[in-house]
Amino acid sequence: MNALLIALTFSAAQPLKVWHGYRGGEESALIEAAQRFTQETGTPVELLPVPYQTLASKLTSAIPHDAGPDVFIFAHERLRQFQRLGIVDRSTGRLEPRTYLPQSIDALTLDGETYGYPLAFKCVALYVNKKRVPKPPATTDELEALLPALSNPKERRFGLAYESGEPYYHAPILLGFGGALFDAQGRTTMNTPGMAKSLAWVLKLQERGFMPQEVSGALVLSLFNEGRAAMVVSGPWLAADIHKDIDYQVVPLPTVSETGLPLKPFLGVEAAFVSGRAEQPDIAHRFAKFLSLGAATQLRVEKGQQIPAELAAYETEAVKSNPLIAAFRAAAANAMPMPTTLEMARWWEPMKLTVRGVVQRTVTPEAAGAMGDRLYRALNRQSPPPTSPTPWLITLGVVLLGLFAYAFVDSRRGLPWRQRYPDTWRAVVYMAPAAIGIAVLVLIPFTVGISLSLFHYDAGTYTFVGWGNFIDILGSHDYSITEPLSFYFTLGVTILWTALNVALHVGIGLALAILLKEPLLKLRGVYRVLLIIPWAVPNYITALMWKGMFHRQFGAINGILELLGIEPVSWFTRFSTAFAANLATNTWLGFPFMMVVSLGALQSIPKDLYEAAEVDGASRWTQFRRITLPMLKPALLPSIILGTVWTFNMFNVIYLVSGGEPGGSTNILVTEAFRWAFERNEQYGFAAAYAVLIFVVLFIWSAFTKRLTTEKA
Amino acid sequence: MRRASPLSLWLINLVLIFVCAITLYPALWVVKLAFSEGQAISLSPSPLPDHFSFQHFIDLVGHVDSKGRWIFGRQLFSSLLVASTTTLIGLALAVSAAYALSRFRFPAREAGMQTLLITQMFPATLMLVPLYSLLQRLGLLNTRAGLVLVYATASLPFCVWMLKGYFDAMPKELEEAAMMDGASPLQVFWKVVLPLARPAIAVTGLFSFMTAWNEYILAATLLNDEALFTLPVALNRFVDEYKSEYGTFAAGALLVSIPVMALFYALQKHLVGGLTAGGVKG
Amino acid sequence: MPAVELKNLRKSFGDNLIVKGVDLAVEPGEFLVMVGPSGCGKTTLLRLIAGLEQADAGDIFIEGSRVNDVAPRDRDVAMVFQSYALYPHLTVRENLAFSLTLRKASKASVDARVQEVAAMLELSELLERKPKALSGGQRQRVAMGRAIVRQPKVFLFDEPLSNLDTALRVQMRGELARLHQRMRTTMIYVTHDQVEAMTLATRVAVFNKGALQQLGAPLELYNRPANQFVAQFLGSPSMNVLDAQREGGMLRGEGFELSAPADLQSTGALRVGLRPQDLRVAEQGPLTGTVDAVERLGFDGFAFVRMNQALLAARFDGDQQVKVGDTVHLAPLGDALHVFTADGSSAVRAPPRSPGA
Repeated sequence: MNALLIALTFSAAQPLKVWHGYRGGEESALIEAAQRFTQETGTPVELLPVPYQTLASKLTSAIPHDAGPDVFIFAHERLRQFQRLGIVDRSTGRLEPRTYLPQSIDALTLDGETYGYPLAFKCVALYVNKKRVPKPPATTDELEALLPALSNPKERRFGLAYESGEPYYHAPILLGFGGALFDAQGRTTMNTPGMAKSLAWVLKLQERGFMPQEVSGALVLSLFNEGRAAMVVSGPWLAADIHKDIDYQVVPLPTVSETGLPLKPFLGVEAAFVSGRAEQPDIAHRFAKFLSLGAATQLRVEKGQQIPAELAAYETEAVKSNPLIAAFRAAAANAMPMPTTLEMARWWEPMKLTVRGVVQRTVTPEAAGAMGDRLYRALNRQSPPPTSPTPWLITLGVVLLGLFAYAFVDSRRGLPWRQRYPDTWRAVVYMAPAAIGIAVLVLIPFTVGISLSLFHYDAGTYTFVGWGNFIDILGSHDYSITEPLSFYFTLGVTILWTALNVALHVGIGLALAILLKEPLLKLRGVYRVLLIIPWAVPNYITALMWKGMFHRQFGAINGILELLGIEPVSWFTRFSTAFAANLATNTWLGFPFMMVVSLGALQSIPKDLYEAAEVDGASRWTQFRRITLPMLKPALLPSIILGTVWTFNMFNVIYLVSGGEPGGSTNILVTEAFRWAFERNEQYGFAAAYAVLIFVVLFIWSAFTKRLTTEKA
Repeated sequence: MRRASPLSLWLINLVLIFVCAITLYPALWVVKLAFSEGQAISLSPSPLPDHFSFQHFIDLVGHVDSKGRWIFGRQLFSSLLVASTTTLIGLALAVSAAYALSRFRFPAREAGMQTLLITQMFPATLMLVPLYSLLQRLGLLNTRAGLVLVYATASLPFCVWMLKGYFDAMPKELEEAAMMDGASPLQVFWKVVLPLARPAIAVTGLFSFMTAWNEYILAATLLNDEALFTLPVALNRFVDEYKSEYGTFAAGALLVSIPVMALFYALQKHLVGGLTAGGVKG
Repeated sequence: MPAVELKNLRKSFGDNLIVKGVDLAVEPGEFLVMVGPSGCGKTTLLRLIAGLEQADAGDIFIEGSRVNDVAPRDRDVAMVFQSYALYPHLTVRENLAFSLTLRKASKASVDARVQEVAAMLELSELLERKPKALSGGQRQRVAMGRAIVRQPKVFLFDEPLSNLDTALRVQMRGELARLHQRMRTTMIYVTHDQVEAMTLATRVAVFNKGALQQLGAPLELYNRPANQFVAQFLGSPSMNVLDAQREGGMLRGEGFELSAPADLQSTGALRVGLRPQDLRVAEQGPLTGTVDAVERLGFDGFAFVRMNQALLAARFDGDQQVKVGDTVHLAPLGDALHVFTADGSSAVRAPPRSPGA
């Protein structure tokens, strides 16, 4: 009795924490289900919606630090990683497998144990605009027969649209053409006939103008809503946003006529997982199970338009009367549950580069497979040989001792301390708060970051490898120096990027500042405010806008080019144009800062210098060269130094505009480091080594500029 | 300076209008998306909305969470609180450190300046993992205070650099005059140095504010409570892998930009003089 | 008790020894002008007295108490800076009142004092202006006013007139002198302009290379310079100095011969000095050379005459015909000969009075 009471008060005081990435209808369904759970059990539920793309990294960092939720909702594809990190709890014994679709249980089973409770599944199917395609194609031959009549690239109409550069969307085609992800040993294999055939087929549809290029999810939606795409491939999430005027139906993907195999999409199972470190595991399991069954399923179906994993749901009226659910269940029958092996995680990035290489026509479908295999080996590095950290620790100790000794000897030389540094104590008082802040929050993580570069990280374990990572990077092991993924190529691109950007920022900024200085200019204030806008608007927003403007078919830039009678450009298929797109965006973002700095610096130049030059008969150009430039130098130099460091590490523009395309060639060092850390299986050590190299390059540069500035003084 | 002839004045205006148009075009796209119906990207190159609608703003501002809390209001408050305390703390730290670096002679002064620059060189994303453990150990995870401290230290190097440059260019005699007039070191700082550095302080303050106001990766990682989220984190939910609500995103982006634009406008006068010293002389 | 006393004061910046052991006593109510070429350490000395620099060695006394470790604000001295250092963010009134408000004086007394000083310096009309809106002369006056309001023990001036044009400088010089007459406060004034030194000072201290060369009343310094440096620094054009050898009753140098004054004891290598005012262009004289340049001032003028390697300045009357290229003779006017040791470090003889002046 007492125990029960304690349990009750405990549970009332301790809400159950649940993290999810749902929005819209799915979120409302979850909220209502949680409220019902609270009514039934008395346990309050605290829901935290997290942006989906950050959810995984949030979970993997929070749960091991005991800062995470009790229950989280996620797709099954990362299960192996979660299990290795110990952030999911087993549901074996608590869940009854037969209540759910067998595929969904398969997806949640690892080494004979089940994890989490399946809620819904997601896979792609064919959305067909009924008005334009009365009879959906059942085979690829039928599809190909339909497409010519439905497409007119001049008018920007297309028979079919899907995110052709994404492995997730190419996988069904690859599997349908008889390809496979892995060989018999379970290792990734790309160089297969199925791969070549599937890519050739996609390229054919694209080249004949049946499909648009550079397709994003948002573009798929826009095309379908505006009736510009007769058919699109997408998942159940698209349905909620389709315009009500569009009469459409969803059908399973067609069968490949050549092989007789269906286009086989990936099946993703969404599940409620219980954290491996949940504070209240029992109640957490109860909640997760509650979400996956009965009334909660009902809510998820009705409000969230989910395709439920619970078998019983298919007997209800709500599901039976919902054509969308029926269609996706049918589509799921052909689907392949996404493997949860670690090998699967290694497959994505090389696959993406391979598919994009073909649709951007930098590689032929036949050669793509071999390239994919090579990329696979390069991106999924073997660990360098482990070494003993002892010599490192000894060296570190000796260096530190030496530094102390030097500081001690140095302080004995020359003038007495008090005379040389009369303000030491005052300085300590003034500097202490900032110094402590920087030391704790910047230097400690910085030191940890640097030491990470000496380790190899693989799925939760760190191995000490000494210089190993650096040897791999600087030795350009897996690719020649001129290939996009080699350090030297990326370094070259980064330097070019930085130099051009800084030159343009300063050039344009200074030119505008000089124009704005014109004393007779009436609208100076207005111009100034308008020209500052790119600086004021958050750059992750404007970078996305610029990416849109560079789109092959729908971008404003190509629109303007066409108006001028110039052939439109596929901006992201060639290095030069993709680089130019990045450059244009960053120039736009960066010139206002330099303009403002220049305006201020121009003000500080005494007028009489110009008057003197005028009297001496100097032309405007001479005045600029002989007075303006030299006088500006001291004021501009610090800004240029900082600007260079920022541009060198300008992540957002590269990542959001070109995304490294084509083939990773427009990546700069910092995006490359980010990809190694977060997109290529968390190779933290390797990424840290990249970061250290970035640091070294910038450090050398700053030492150089320091000499430049002190020579002046 | 030579006065421009009417013709060249026209030319200057023409060039400026052209540049302004280029500058505004992408920004207008945000406006267009925000005021259009639906979540789809418009496919026409015109920067004006096809159908005018306030729906995205209503959706965004009216958002209420599962506990019935007015979440937009809380997030707006959170953003304002985080950005303004970051600015205050960052400025307090930066002004005193920059003053010391500019005026005092003490050991490792040059090294201090170099350290500040160096901190800008290491990619921030790679410090995220250690930073997370650190904040957890300090008990600052999932608190606004932790976020504020991280932001304030992150914007310190820029602020210190800018302020030090400004202090360096400020004539030392003014402080000496104040000392002679009987001011204590603290009074010199408060009554002479700070008022004189106002433009630079305004600009660096604006910069810290913007850094904190716009940042989302750290905020999304370090905060675990929806009501604590800053607006960019909330906005980031609208563009994800499966489903992107560009309309709502753009509306939010617009709302997020407004305070910064207003600050820019208000500080315009200081902005020009504040990044480079020189205005103080005479 | 001296108002300010310096004992063996030393100061260096890095390896640069700027002040090399200076001893100096400033009497109460005195107007002491420290003069010397730029880089001679006079400004550093002033800043040491102000407390803006810390002495490496030696002592500073103000009214008898040692102030080496006293902060500037507690030394009760006021300083006028070369750049004026007016607070640009404050009005003239606030600038003047700044030191008083820091001392927590009552508002009424501050206002009264500011009014009084403003009236004294004719600034009453400008009280609400910011320094930016003032002319150079007005700024200068505000800077002085700011020092005056406080009624300090000692005023320090650091080349306060060097940023003014000639006419204003002459006017302000007069005002300063009157100010001193009226207030009778100790003033220490740094300048590189010998005219200011001669006209303002009760005593002049001449500095060179961080060391005090001579201290005395202006005319005394002019008439009896302690060494070649002082002799050449004061007076314009500067004194002609020639190497010479005493041979019996004669002083012989390269291309000239002068009779040694009777009271000259020294023998051997020496230097002789003649002020241009004491040297005339004449029909005949002991010195001969070619005219290199001519400066006509109206009533009289100076001819610059090349004699072997040396360039000598000599006065001529306004109606005298002197042209560039002429060969002329120069004759000293009466007993005007200064004699220095061969290295110029000290004077061994000065003429009994200044015949030319």
